[in-house]
Amino acid sequence: MGRIPASYMINRLLTLFLTVFIAATLIWIIPRLSPIDPVDVMLGRMAAGGGAIENSGAILTQLRESFGLDQPLIVQYLLYIKNTLTLDFGLSTASFPTPVAQLIGQALPWTLGLMLVSLIITFIIGNLLGALMVWENTPRLWKVAIPSAMVMTAIPPLLSGLLLMYVFSSQLGWFPLTGAYGLNVEPGWDTGFIGSVLHHGFLPAMSIVLVTFGFWALGMRGLMITVQGEDYSVLAKAKGLRPRYILYRYMIRNAILPQVTAFALQIGGLVAGQVLVERIFAYPGMGKLLYDAILDQDFPVIQGLSFVIILMTAIAVFLVDLVYPLIDPRIRHGRD
Amino acid sequence: MTVLDIRNISIDFPTSKGVVHAVSDVSLSVPQGRRIGFIGESGSGKTTTALAAMRMLAAPGFVSEGEIHLNALGDTDILSLSEEEMRRVRLRKISYIPQGAMNSLNPVMRVETQIWDGILAHEAGVTQAELQRRSDAVLEGVGLDPKIVGRLYPHELSGGMKQRVCIAIGVCLQPDLIIADEPTSALDVITQRHVMQTLREVQARIGAGLILIGHDMGLMAQSVDDLAVLRLGELVEFGPVRQILENPQHPYTKELISSVPLVGGESFLDPTPAEVPKGFTTQDGTPLLELRGVGKTYGAVTALHPMSFTLDGAVPKIISIVGQSGSGKSTMGSLMLGFSPPSTGEVLFKGQDINRIGKADQLTFRKQVQAVFQDPYACFNPFYRVDHALKFPFKRFGLAQSEDHVRHAMEEACRAVGLDPSLVLSRYPHQLSGGQRQRLIVARALMLSPNLLIADEPVSMVDASLRSSILKNIHDLKDRHGISIIYITHDLATAYHVSDYVMVLYKGHVVEAGPPKDVIGDPKHTYTRLLIDSIPWPEVGRDWGSADDARAALDELARIGGTPRTVYRGDIPGFTLRQG
Repeated sequence: MGRIPASYMINRLLTLFLTVFIAATLIWIIPRLSPIDPVDVMLGRMAAGGGAIENSGAILTQLRESFGLDQPLIVQYLLYIKNTLTLDFGLSTASFPTPVAQLIGQALPWTLGLMLVSLIITFIIGNLLGALMVWENTPRLWKVAIPSAMVMTAIPPLLSGLLLMYVFSSQLGWFPLTGAYGLNVEPGWDTGFIGSVLHHGFLPAMSIVLVTFGFWALGMRGLMITVQGEDYSVLAKAKGLRPRYILYRYMIRNAILPQVTAFALQIGGLVAGQVLVERIFAYPGMGKLLYDAILDQDFPVIQGLSFVIILMTAIAVFLVDLVYPLIDPRIRHGRD
Repeated sequence: MTVLDIRNISIDFPTSKGVVHAVSDVSLSVPQGRRIGFIGESGSGKTTTALAAMRMLAAPGFVSEGEIHLNALGDTDILSLSEEEMRRVRLRKISYIPQGAMNSLNPVMRVETQIWDGILAHEAGVTQAELQRRSDAVLEGVGLDPKIVGRLYPHELSGGMKQRVCIAIGVCLQPDLIIADEPTSALDVITQRHVMQTLREVQARIGAGLILIGHDMGLMAQSVDDLAVLRLGELVEFGPVRQILENPQHPYTKELISSVPLVGGESFLDPTPAEVPKGFTTQDGTPLLELRGVGKTYGAVTALHPMSFTLDGAVPKIISIVGQSGSGKSTMGSLMLGFSPPSTGEVLFKGQDINRIGKADQLTFRKQVQAVFQDPYACFNPFYRVDHALKFPFKRFGLAQSEDHVRHAMEEACRAVGLDPSLVLSRYPHQLSGGQRQRLIVARALMLSPNLLIADEPVSMVDASLRSSILKNIHDLKDRHGISIIYITHDLATAYHVSDYVMVLYKGHVVEAGPPKDVIGDPKHTYTRLLIDSIPWPEVGRDWGSADDARAALDELARIGGTPRTVYRGDIPGFTLRQG
């Protein structure tokens, strides 16, 4: 495997920074295009709670000052960029005065753990099943069973979650109903805690895997059909190679390439989590945080989450750009 | 000794519309060391018969009758082998060299690994050193440097190199029989000669039988000992190639032989009518098409070096642009169609720079300049019937007066290209043959009564017997409809017959230009001469040279560098060409 040349690396890094920068700017601009004055909204909320407010004009001015809204736009923008760079997203208005960064910091590991594990499981299962749908040596039973199982893709994760909860928690009692770990364990790197986390994570992960593997399987099926018709697959057979070897080294190996890109794009998206899945399992991840923030109109949290999602997507794409030349020789040499 | 014995086989493809008999009752045997050619058009069953011997028929095809015996297996019919037993026969006893040289190798594996996996699938316990030694030997055998090429990935090789790697794979286990399925159809003539001679050399060295599948009578004459002519799944004639060429018995064989256009041979065109319709004229003598110092670069690569020509169009002409792939001939076509702007210079159509005209003029330009492309399969939207495809541009360009008028125009255009309108118009593209589709594209262009037609390899994907009739249709556009034509091709023989003027392109330079009788009939430039020498002639006696000659030709080609001066071989009225 060749080394990654510096020029390529610099090029990719610049793209990464530029993407994040443009996205951060957009997040800042879009709310400012809206006619709604956040201070008005805040005041309105106070008024709804406490009736009429005296000196509302003075309070408005004071609020604007404390949020820096009396500054020229360009100053506000520069301040925002500086804060964003230091991952300072301000204070949550719903859980005032907790910093947004702290809320995200607490939620992120849970989501990353749950979603990354379920994404990897789905990726492997989905692609393998998709490949088996096309391979000519797949047992006939499988060729019937796999498309039938695809019915589950039609179920929204929310429902599959409830279904799994009903069967495996309420009825069978195999898995706990909600939460990320048991009340009887202390967080820490010991077997008790880790076991509890895995035990709690199983159902939410399964509810995601069940409904998303079809996405990968169908995509893989299409790619495999293309690869199957390629001349190199025909020649592989004419060479008398073993069918399993052809499946892995000639067919899946080539068909999987576009799927890797899709995988990276999903990593970015998974930070937002399966909002409703996290919600019904009361899983303390990013999805639940986002769900609550939207309900509470907690703009700093929404803004902070948006930025983190973009950052993760950009980093994932950057990593794929680095990995891709290692798995596809045509890319490695194509850029020369 | 007979290597392969095919006894009375029939191959059926059950479809929803009944059983298609792809091959009926074909018997044939291949003696050791002998080369057999299978010739026929698409759908003749030549590939199907050969694939049956590999037991690799595409589903749902199956051998409904007959037996196939391989000498190496004694008395066993290979059709009775288990899938695993058959796997062990492939490559070790029968090897296959596929048609698509471009995509036959696994793009993510190094060349030598793709030789090794073939060896390892048939022989257990071969050491790494042994593998390396054997892959080096076979690569060397096909004229490739194993130290360099073995470590490369397929996309780093040229088409000719890839096909030679496929030959190396095919012979690495020294099989009894090699089946080569149009191994050179994607290659230009110079490379074709080199690859074909390499294949013959290697085949003779290991003493294997060879089945060469193809449609080119010339290639067969130069490459095989015996020829099997297939038509609609039947073997219509079989015998020594010389005997078949000199004294064909079956009418179809005669037709195949006579349909090959030859340089200097008889013309397949109708004689030019006394009255050729007027082309495009203006009062002030503005030419129809003018290129002024037009060049095209893609990054650091120069596809076309600056060149200029003027085509006045008053008397319609066919100008041919010939060259091998990468010569810049298609780049010229796309520049003239305004699909991409030139890097230098300007393209003028009726005095206007086509890259600087307004929206309304652009529409007029599109109507007056029509195109016919190489792939008749990709030129139709598969969701619409043929009449829609013909009607749409006609209406879009505002030519339609009434529905009756449209229908009449469509029917007339179909008849002009020799199609029965009642048969084709209500069909979908997939229900038509490649030849019919290509004619419809000519008809569609004709309906718009353009002044200029750009035809980029219009017949390279259709069967040989249809080529001359489609070229006849295109030629008629000039003779009967007064349309000037730019004919882009790699085929010198057709350019020789249809064109009034020929430009030979090499690496983006016009190296030789003039009337076809001089340029192709009596070439002066090294490159043109090489092209002509590399054409396989359908005469057994005519020497095509050895693999060494082919290699020497390629070396000679490599020495042509810098900016070659165009060799001008005479002028024709109405067309002038300049370098720079």
